[in-house]
Amino acid sequence: MLVHIDLDGDRPHGASLAALAAGRDVASSWGATLYAAVIAHDPNEKGIGPIESELARGGADKIVVALTDAPITPLWAEVGAAWQAVLDQLRPRVVLFGADAPATAELAARTGARIGARLLMRARAIGIDDVELRDRDGGYARASDGGATVALIGRAGPAQPGEDDIDVVVMTPPSASDDRIELAGTVAAELVNAPAIIALGDDVCAEADVAAHAKKLAALLGAQLVGGPAAVRAGLVAPGAVVDRHTPLAPELCIAVGAIALDLAGAASVIRIGAPGGKHVAGALPGRAATVLGELVELLEASP
Amino acid sequence: MTLAVWLGSAAPARTVRWLDGALATAAKLDAGAIGLCAGDTGWLDLAADRARHAGIASAGVPTELALDYLGWAQVVAAAARSLGATTVLVDEASRPERAAEVGALAEQIGAVQLTRVIELANDDGGLRAKRLAGGLVQTVRVRGTAVIGVRIAGEPLDEYPTPVPNKSMRRLELGALGLDPSVLAHRALPKRGGSSPRKTVERVADYLAMHVQVTGARTAQRGA
Repeated sequence: MLVHIDLDGDRPHGASLAALAAGRDVASSWGATLYAAVIAHDPNEKGIGPIESELARGGADKIVVALTDAPITPLWAEVGAAWQAVLDQLRPRVVLFGADAPATAELAARTGARIGARLLMRARAIGIDDVELRDRDGGYARASDGGATVALIGRAGPAQPGEDDIDVVVMTPPSASDDRIELAGTVAAELVNAPAIIALGDDVCAEADVAAHAKKLAALLGAQLVGGPAAVRAGLVAPGAVVDRHTPLAPELCIAVGAIALDLAGAASVIRIGAPGGKHVAGALPGRAATVLGELVELLEASP
Repeated sequence: MTLAVWLGSAAPARTVRWLDGALATAAKLDAGAIGLCAGDTGWLDLAADRARHAGIASAGVPTELALDYLGWAQVVAAAARSLGATTVLVDEASRPERAAEVGALAEQIGAVQLTRVIELANDDGGLRAKRLAGGLVQTVRVRGTAVIGVRIAGEPLDEYPTPVPNKSMRRLELGALGLDPSVLAHRALPKRGGSSPRKTVERVADYLAMHVQVTGARTAQRGA
């Protein structure tokens, strides 16, 4: 069982640590060895000792460090060759990614294709003795299943603390950037391109409770608040986050609060609050928006 | 560069706007681009109609199969080879399952890949793309065989005429592509539970918990 570890500066990314925690639960239940794999530059240059300690405490049985000369950017063209070498060396049956880790969008599906795996989106480990991976749409992987699985972990409980002193395997695959793709620059994305948005209808913006709960929910989900003219007047959304019924929106997740018309891509998961659900929604809570939002925030804050 | 745009195996979930955007992008990049789709007759007719509206040709693989990301990637790879396409755009915004097909298709045809592309233009014999990477936009230059997942919107559209069967669509049979439906069926989409909306706060919270960001503080709590 292999967990891909993205780095956030000089530390493992939080989403990758969540994947590692889920992996620990599953590996312990299935009797598997849990590898955590990091793609990095020369370890002597920046030092990966602290990363190794954190991964060990996070539950890894073994750590694989794949060294590459390519820039560590979330692009298959840059880190794909090194990652492929890790896959070919370990031949894992299960590969886990943090659902919100930077490289997941580029690496996960291709990993699945390479090992012929089923793909679980936004999954978690559930169960006590017989732990299984289950995604938010009902897909699952169990110890008794045949075949390989790639799962994007969206949630994990507390990690079982591991030992500080574990095996570290350093690989130096013949990896380099794929010169068919060249990174030319990076700038900040517009606010309406956020991966998760909370869209506030004009009818609810004047309610102080809605505003407070919406801000808390946005902080929990890493979401961007968007809305119309009333939301701007209320100071709830930034100027670059104003939307109307024709603004094209393609987030992974949209929570629409109150009466707001949005032009959402079909790929978006939508939760409606304070309004009827309609077609293609993942959830709908049509009660009073402030009350429902408050309950939702409370439950999410209490979740592990 | 010969360009195909994979429109998917089912009609868009909410709006054809992103389908139109993918087709318009393909038309802008290559006048000889071809819109490619697979699935039932109603969807093939709609896809062909929107491709005609964008001014490009279309090809369809008629099939009743319901496959996972890897199964469809095999179909698209075979169809792209048959059409001589060296670059494939994928409309990854119209349905949730489509994004995974980008990497799977790239693996099948040995191409480079880009996901989450929001702008695409010709650039000195190659392509220049802008893609979302979390809170950032990366600008990249692409050369050679590539699979590119696009999320580029077309014009807003409240209604569109009911599509009629399009005789100009090129039909690609699975057998003629070298694919055996009974073998492909091994990648059939597993049966899932019902997809009715969650209607209680507890169920919605359980769903959203999969999206809660793991911050440094929360991670530290785990390790404690």
